[in-house]
Amino acid sequence: MKSISLYKDMGTWLNLMHPYTKLLYIVAAISIPLIGSKLWLFGVFIAASLVILASGKVLRHAVPLLAFSATLIVVIFLVQGLFNHANEQVLFAIGPMTFYKEGVLFATKLGLNILNMLLSFGIFVLTTSPEELVDEMEKNGFSAKFGYVINSVFQILPQMMMTKDTITDAQRSRGLETEGSLGVRMKAFIPLISPVVMSSLVNTRERAIALEVRGFGRKNKKTWLADRPKHKGDKAIGAVLVLLIVLTIAGRVLGWL
Amino acid sequence: MAKIFKTKLTAATIVLIPACIGINYLGKLFASLLKLPLWLDSIGTCIGACLGGPIIGGLCGAVNNIVFGLTTGDNITLIYALTSLGIGIAVGVMARLGFMTSFPKAMLTAVVGGTAAVVISTPLNILFWGGTTGNVWGDALFAFTQAKGMSVGMGSFLDELVVDVPDKLLTLIIVYLIIKGLPKKLTSLYDVNTEVERLD
Amino acid sequence: MALINIENLKYRYPGYEQLALDDISLTIERGEFIGICGRNGAGKSTLSQAIIGLVPQFYKGAYGGRVEVGGILAEKKPVYEMCEKVGLIFQNPFTQLTGARDTVYGEIAFGLQNLAIERGEMHRRIETVMKQLDIWEYKDRNPFDLSGGQMQRVAIASVLVMQPEIIILDEPTSQLDPQGSEEVFRVVEQLADSGITVIMIEQKVEKLAAYCDRIILMDGGKMVAFDTAEKIYSRDDLEELGIEPPVYTRLAKQYGVKDENGNYPAKLEDTVRLFAEKKIEFEKPVAEAPVAEAEKVFNIEDLDFAYVEGVDILKDFCLKLDRRSTAIIGQNGAGKTTLVRLLKGLLKPASGSIYYGSEDISGKTVAMLADKVGYVFQNPDDQIFKHNVLEELMFGPMNIGMSEADAKAEALKALKLMGLEGKENMNPYDLDLHERKMVAIASVLAMDTDVLILDEPTIAQDYSGRKIIGDMIRKLTDEGRLVIAVLHDMDFVEEYFDRVIVMAHGELLCEGSAAEVYSQAELLEEAKLQKPHRMQLYDLLKA
Repeated sequence: MKSISLYKDMGTWLNLMHPYTKLLYIVAAISIPLIGSKLWLFGVFIAASLVILASGKVLRHAVPLLAFSATLIVVIFLVQGLFNHANEQVLFAIGPMTFYKEGVLFATKLGLNILNMLLSFGIFVLTTSPEELVDEMEKNGFSAKFGYVINSVFQILPQMMMTKDTITDAQRSRGLETEGSLGVRMKAFIPLISPVVMSSLVNTRERAIALEVRGFGRKNKKTWLADRPKHKGDKAIGAVLVLLIVLTIAGRVLGWL
Repeated sequence: MAKIFKTKLTAATIVLIPACIGINYLGKLFASLLKLPLWLDSIGTCIGACLGGPIIGGLCGAVNNIVFGLTTGDNITLIYALTSLGIGIAVGVMARLGFMTSFPKAMLTAVVGGTAAVVISTPLNILFWGGTTGNVWGDALFAFTQAKGMSVGMGSFLDELVVDVPDKLLTLIIVYLIIKGLPKKLTSLYDVNTEVERLD
Repeated sequence: MALINIENLKYRYPGYEQLALDDISLTIERGEFIGICGRNGAGKSTLSQAIIGLVPQFYKGAYGGRVEVGGILAEKKPVYEMCEKVGLIFQNPFTQLTGARDTVYGEIAFGLQNLAIERGEMHRRIETVMKQLDIWEYKDRNPFDLSGGQMQRVAIASVLVMQPEIIILDEPTSQLDPQGSEEVFRVVEQLADSGITVIMIEQKVEKLAAYCDRIILMDGGKMVAFDTAEKIYSRDDLEELGIEPPVYTRLAKQYGVKDENGNYPAKLEDTVRLFAEKKIEFEKPVAEAPVAEAEKVFNIEDLDFAYVEGVDILKDFCLKLDRRSTAIIGQNGAGKTTLVRLLKGLLKPASGSIYYGSEDISGKTVAMLADKVGYVFQNPDDQIFKHNVLEELMFGPMNIGMSEADAKAEALKALKLMGLEGKENMNPYDLDLHERKMVAIASVLAMDTDVLILDEPTIAQDYSGRKIIGDMIRKLTDEGRLVIAVLHDMDFVEEYFDRVIVMAHGELLCEGSAAEVYSQAELLEEAKLQKPHRMQLYDLLKA
């Protein structure tokens, strides 16, 4: 089965780190540059994220993530560079388009922020099994019902995705046109989506029964097949990250930054 | 008010959430297969809201974006979890108030859902990307308003409005057409008010 | 005291007027193996779900009488607690997976975690059950990647591991192919020997007769009888109740062979013994001479096809199809479905040609063939989308350009043919799966095509459903249309098809009439196919 998760088990230290530590890194990477309000802080964390990704052997897998933001960043540069209300100083011009310094600076900040977010999330997403995260959260008192919701999406979604082609084939076999004018294509939407809705609701009923007969919904505390092996680095890295956030806040308040 | 938000977290309603997230995804998939100019990626959220109420609807929306954001690494999606949450709650409240029982009422629900989306998304757009949305048509409009000197807030609001409201209008039309034909055997599972009747 | 005590049980689903269970009283003792039989819709599943308390707690509706399991009132005890006592397995292997675990091992642990079983005990139990059910080798696989039979064994393991006193099997093999069914029945045999109390609903009556101490016969929500298999299957009113007795009983009836108690035998070994004791000679039915026809509908020449480049599913495949009704049989992966999808234009051949009449259709699209070749997909839920049966049936005909009046006339004709009369204004999703399958067939029939392709039409059907489909195939064949079916149901193939094509590894192994094909033991071995029950019995009695 094709998984929708980007998680890769490369057997590196990143896979062994606790999910919470990686979540804390995201918090630090995003908050510190924003609190510190300096462009170079973005640079520091972008560089750090790249190094971490490389040490976890997942740098290559992080490239497609950046594609998400490419168009958005281009649009931001165009719109802000050309039309930002604070625009005064001309930076450069390409044909009829004049880019201003203020707008480009603003766009750079937004763009760096987007890149920084993507990369720090990338570390988490590429090296953490969703099931592991949910299990850890449940062990810390997170509701088993919500835990189920998150875990099941990863299993049920690929199943539903596979029905796409079958439904399309079944309806085209009955003469449904899926190409042509906008009107024709709009009309084809209902015969395609309705079977998905109906059959998934029917399946929902059966799956709910399957869960109940397996004791889902009991009030008692669950037991677990295994404990997560502890990693020595979790505490140390966590402490450093918290310290960095505190220092940045202090620096901001006391005016060092 | 309490009644509108009344929710039973039974196995049936819990399992409804992943199913709705799947429906969201397939809606988007079919829309792109048919090359429709809209997203149609919140059909599941709206169905969840109509069947399970605002809490389930909100959960469908939020979990949808959180899961996709975290799995695909697309944290742009993650940020809009708030918007999806809002759509789910708004549609759920309208459905519980009886605004999914006829076509004109469903249109009103669509407007409310669309407005919720716009109101929540606009500040996010301004905060994270200076007002753009990533949608070609919306952003062209935004660029135009900025060139004409309109405020960022207003421009971004219009940007989101032209994208979200038509999308939610069509989404709710589809949801209405599907919901009105659901058999009782299915809907009764999610009805918070049914009790077992005695036969002896 | 009896383990299960049911008194005057009545139940009605929400939104229905008819009672699904109508005044049922019975007791079941600890360690019994109980069967439930009856036509689809008789109330079998409802009764079994009342024992675990899903009826009425899960479905709501209206309830009367009482059900006691080991002194506990089933209607009040939450199902998630009752599951310590009663385990339930049902038809669909997919939806029985929790969907929350990505390994088989974790899947089986799910219930134990909820019951808060101590860790060491949990591992011990899982290992024991997995080895017992022969699924230990799959422990690290994703449960969704398994075959139906394997998945169903995982489902049984997940319930057994919770160590219930009673286990309910609700048609556990109805959606599986023969190989998967055999895998599951091997497990059922273990259960029968283990002494656990089992309640099994099953359309495969031979199996029911083989394992059950007693059988509950149901119809219209009422319990008609509760007795031994021999007593039940010797009744004269089975046809009216929509039940076909086991093949052994039918043969014994034909020859008037009764056992010591004056009943016809229902088990294989009893039948063989009684026939031997009474020294009965009987004639094996003669194979009808095969009729080769001149007119070719499809002519497939040197067809190559691969889903992934380099992995050929079909290679230099040649076949001529005439107007005889044709069954294509073979193991999963033999290339059967690929072949019929090519005929329908759903797939494009890599090379070679497919002539329909005199026209090469290998380049045509599905839409262009929609009015000539009809194709019924296996799962009706992949196509049904209207809120009313009649509209669903008219969708196809109107797509291919029929007028509304013609479409309606064709739809009504198809409705009647598939036994759906009186259901035209119902919501398809208010119907059960077996009826939705009929709706799906009818929706393609209504398109009035020259060729009809059916994918596993008999799955989930009971005796009367199979008969309706069989009669439809005969009628279409008589009208000069070509019916092609891909299926695993050997008994059905033998009874209703004029021509049988055996495929294995993308090749045509042999073809001919059912009698010809099924008499070639070696060939069936190679294609990993079983003979129809009737022929197996003849072989045994001859030997």
